[in-house]
Amino acid sequence: MEDGEPQSSGSKDLKTENERLAVQFKAQHGLVVAFFVLLLVFHALGIYLFCSGFLLSRLVLQDRSACAAPPVELRYGYTPGSPERGCWHPKSFDKAVVIIVDALRYDFTVPFQPRPGDEHPHHFHNALPVLYETSAQQPNNAFLRPFIADPPTTTLQRLKGLTTGTLPTFIDAGSNFAGTAIDEDNLVEQLFRAGKRVVHLGDDTWHSLFPGYFEPNLTKPYDSFNVWDLHTVDNGVNEHIFPLLEPSMQGRWDVIFGHYLGVDHAGHRYGPDHPAMNDKLKQMDGVIRQIIDKLDDETLLVVMGDHGMDVKGDHGGESDDEVEAALWMYSKKGIFGRGHDVPSEPPATPKERPVGQIDLVPTLAFLLGLQIPFNNLGQPIEEAFVGPGQNKDYANLAEVSRITAAQIHRYQTEYARARGLNDSATSTTSNLWREANERYGAVHAAERVMSDLVEINAYNAYVAYQTENLRICRSLWARFDLVSMSMGITILFGSFAIIAIYAHGIAADRSTLTPLLLGWGAAGTVAGAIIGAAVGLIPDVSLAQTSSFGAAAIGIIATLVGLWPARQVLRLPVPRTFWGGLCMLVTLMLCIGFAANSFTIWEDEQLLFLLTTFGVLMLGSSLGQPDPEDRKLGAANAVSFLAATRLSSLSRLCREEQMPHCRSTYYASATSSTSASWQLGIPFAVALILPSVIKHFFARTRNYNGSAIIWIGVALRMGLALIAGFWVLDAADDGEWFPRAPQDALKTSRVVVAQVVLALAFAAGYATYIWASPPITVKTEEASPEQPAASRPLDPEDPHSDIFTPLNSSPQPRSKLIIFGYANTHGTRYFLLPCAWILALQLVQKPMGQGTLALCMISILNILEIIDANGLRRSPLGPTLLALLGSYYFFKTGHQAALASIQWESAFVPLKTIQYPWSPIMVALNTFGAQILCAIAVPAISMWKVPPKQPGLLGRVAGAMATHMLFYAAIAVATVVEAAWLRRHLMLYRVFMPRMLMAITALLIVDFVGALVALVGVRFSIVSVGDVFGWPGT
Amino acid sequence: MESLAANAVPSQVPTPAKPVNLLQSQPSQFYANLHPILLLSLPLFSFKSLVNDPVNTLLGLTPALAILQAIYCVVCLPSTGQAPPAPHKPGQKKKAGKPAQDIWAKVVPVFLSFVLTFTLSAPILYITVILFGAPLTTHHPHTLLLALHLALLTTPQLYYAHGLDAAKWLQIVSLQLPVDEVYGMTLGACVGAWIGAIPIPLDWDREWQKWPVTIIVGLYFGAIVGKLAGGYVFKGWKIKLS
Repeated sequence: MEDGEPQSSGSKDLKTENERLAVQFKAQHGLVVAFFVLLLVFHALGIYLFCSGFLLSRLVLQDRSACAAPPVELRYGYTPGSPERGCWHPKSFDKAVVIIVDALRYDFTVPFQPRPGDEHPHHFHNALPVLYETSAQQPNNAFLRPFIADPPTTTLQRLKGLTTGTLPTFIDAGSNFAGTAIDEDNLVEQLFRAGKRVVHLGDDTWHSLFPGYFEPNLTKPYDSFNVWDLHTVDNGVNEHIFPLLEPSMQGRWDVIFGHYLGVDHAGHRYGPDHPAMNDKLKQMDGVIRQIIDKLDDETLLVVMGDHGMDVKGDHGGESDDEVEAALWMYSKKGIFGRGHDVPSEPPATPKERPVGQIDLVPTLAFLLGLQIPFNNLGQPIEEAFVGPGQNKDYANLAEVSRITAAQIHRYQTEYARARGLNDSATSTTSNLWREANERYGAVHAAERVMSDLVEINAYNAYVAYQTENLRICRSLWARFDLVSMSMGITILFGSFAIIAIYAHGIAADRSTLTPLLLGWGAAGTVAGAIIGAAVGLIPDVSLAQTSSFGAAAIGIIATLVGLWPARQVLRLPVPRTFWGGLCMLVTLMLCIGFAANSFTIWEDEQLLFLLTTFGVLMLGSSLGQPDPEDRKLGAANAVSFLAATRLSSLSRLCREEQMPHCRSTYYASATSSTSASWQLGIPFAVALILPSVIKHFFARTRNYNGSAIIWIGVALRMGLALIAGFWVLDAADDGEWFPRAPQDALKTSRVVVAQVVLALAFAAGYATYIWASPPITVKTEEASPEQPAASRPLDPEDPHSDIFTPLNSSPQPRSKLIIFGYANTHGTRYFLLPCAWILALQLVQKPMGQGTLALCMISILNILEIIDANGLRRSPLGPTLLALLGSYYFFKTGHQAALASIQWESAFVPLKTIQYPWSPIMVALNTFGAQILCAIAVPAISMWKVPPKQPGLLGRVAGAMATHMLFYAAIAVATVVEAAWLRRHLMLYRVFMPRMLMAITALLIVDFVGALVALVGVRFSIVSVGDVFGWPGT
Repeated sequence: MESLAANAVPSQVPTPAKPVNLLQSQPSQFYANLHPILLLSLPLFSFKSLVNDPVNTLLGLTPALAILQAIYCVVCLPSTGQAPPAPHKPGQKKKAGKPAQDIWAKVVPVFLSFVLTFTLSAPILYITVILFGAPLTTHHPHTLLLALHLALLTTPQLYYAHGLDAAKWLQIVSLQLPVDEVYGMTLGACVGAWIGAIPIPLDWDREWQKWPVTIIVGLYFGAIVGKLAGGYVFKGWKIKLS
């Protein structure tokens, strides 16, 4: 402290000196922020490189099948080339109505069958019986089969599969929000080119996939992403589809694609086991019956689900519930049949006799007389070609599967040529192909004998070829670009090393070293990008790849070179204390654990275990403090921390793999995604309690005054109360509590409330934060002359008591100046920032998540006090603990490291429709709310209860932030390496890849928030304190 | 604030604690070495039934464990307030004293130690185990017995050797006591139980992964390793928390 220095040069010099120090701080601060942005760039480049190699897959061939060019010589001398008769095979129907009921799971369509533990039908059972009834009663007119989707089970991916007959590639999974046109051979394009008039009604995803192919006058697209709206799309489709089926409209259309979204949206909004789902399925039942009534004999009716839904009503992953959809075909012509020994009743469970979704493509192509799309991998569905009655037409079946197999073979040959593959990759399929053709040769030889057995043999052989081919394609198209992956891993390791050295390897003030590192690093990055781009100009080398690798790699090396002048103050970044060692041990254990699927699955429980370990040790350590005040404070906060952690562990959202050892409590029930009514009380409790708790922490050090009262006591409380109101409105809208309220009134008011809260948090909150003066009060009192002339606490027994600073040169009678809140000026001033953000983060959480996030906030304050009581401000304990806390509360706010647990509906909290970039931002705030809150709180560790003129504060804040990032970087590096290592593991897409995606997203978000919210925020806090108390000299 | 805290409390630092030395008598040395073997035999020989029926097995093991621990305290440890045995009197005839009084001077503290273990340590450790994530609504007998075993392996010897001195106990919970056989056993038991929780989530589908078998095994092994390490390797060490 500089208070005691002689200040003979006068107040003017002091003022200029202060100004100089303020400018110096601002410059230094800007460079520190820039350095963290550079780290973010390194991470982003590394992640980009890794993902572009890891999420790679299939080469899209541009070839198109032609009507006149079948892949093989046709039987009975059938002449190809006539769309009127059928391109490669005589067609069965002129017209078709294809209905997609989004998320129609197979068990929605078959009668409920009691099982032990599941004796009673759910809301989704027995509500859509028409498909089962018709198939069982009129087997020649209809059949129903389980329809297995290839993951990812997102609508866009499924539509691609359903029209092209090929497998989805994972890189496309992310593009569900911005679909792009399909540029390979597909059914819709073929229909269009064959001169058919194609009408589309419903989900507008079709239009981004097939632009320009639909009849413009008859087609009606509807917005697909307002998942809270159950009826607009369905009513719209109904409004337009029934007039088209009238006889007067015959001749205006050939194929109708109708895409209903209500079932899917009911699932997203309520989960499958909800009365709304029952209503929706009954409505669909009625719609299908009505269409059947209006159908003529020459029209094929297809009803299918593009995917299923999990117990919460969401989809996207590859769990059984998500992939098991239903397929039903119907016509009044009576041409459908069943194979040998197949009962006419549909399978009772989706595990029996399933067909792949890609099998629809050749089936529809043959039935409508089209050529099979070039890239198709599916096989024709038996029921559609085996013929009705007892005399099975096995010859027809063998013929369609031979043509299909031949097309697949042609595609494979072409693909191998385009990819430059050798024959060994396809040797098994080649053998099967040869064998199947030999069997077929036997059919030809025995053509006059008409032996069913021979035909069946040939059919089976072609099916075997197709199945094996599909299996190989599945394994082949998980093709990983190892070069790009290694580049990404190298970059991630390099940037990890930089953060480790920056956080723990510099035994000096970091902030003075940062400009050097930044200069070298930025220059290296630019130079590397240029060199990389130059290398990228060589043909056959990806420009994006080389330039990003060059930028990141040379940037990292240059940053490390930048450390050279500071080599005197460098040391090995290894833990040197008990706490440092424990932090490293825990991080390492987690990192290693992610190589095992069980540890990844049970991460939430492990984090509870680890946090409790820290809590118990901190309790013990606090009890060992020599000062009774510290002891009491530390122990009380440690107990509170332990209690809050265990209490929040009661909020659980189980992932599928945790069943049956886990019970979800996050929503009303395990099969719903709405909150229970008692949970609506949680936000009110939070509004009541949380501001008071924060106030308590401020008031302990007399910092509860000025802006702190306005924000915490008034604005925060009001905002939290509004949030509670928002969720009541939401529940009222969901549960239709006010059926007579004008339509959309609830929705509109809800959205308005949410927008007000956001404005309060960001506009008012930031304004308060930026312009607030430090939360201190000053009182003047007459002083007794014998007061000593140095600052000291008023009560020597109490380290948190107010500090007394006499004015040095004041004449007699001396007055003393008492500054209330001196002890924690920095800490409380900065903590206004997390207090502003908590409001926005609470808004997008479900009621249960709000309770746990409030506990997270309290735990953060507990940690700050414990760290102060134990004098661990400079230990890695605080930042690491906050990172663990953020990861833990990620799970406690209703998430899991699984794509299905993303709460997409949070996009609709402040908005009625999808709007970029706001909707994804809301989803990110919801998903990573806990990590964001903890990252923002990190600077508070270094600032809590430090004297206002603490020198080197910025460097310590930067060190704490780097330590915090180090945890996330370690997890990201570990999961990335493990995902790459386990890339052939059965659980890759279910367990390891989602965890890896979560880790890299969390890393980028924490990097971003840490640099641009937390570190930028530190500036306003320190400047406002510096303006009042003066700056520490250098 | 750190500097202020240091200034504010200049004295108050308790006299540096010394590691506990075992009694020098022959039976004491003998049993001190036998104790770990007997402890180890408990879970080892009942492992099968522990897996099949944890509750009854743990219940059955409780008296045996309590007796072993009681014997250990009586035979090997100096009780609270008892002057450490003077090693520089080799020729002294100890048994010439008053054996009956000697026994009572040991039995009463042992009795009190176990009363405290059952009424104080076990409930606190039960809460601790729950905090660490033990099932809250199910498996109560399992968790209770786990806490009991944890208490029996960690605390009676501490009560016996250190009494109820608050300053001493603050040192114990803040890991500031110098390591010795007694404290080592306590620390080892805690660390062993902690490590024992690690295999639970693994999907190996083994019977022995069920609650709380792995923790019990880790607990016993940890206690034994801790006792040996504390007595022979790390004696006199102090853990530096900060």
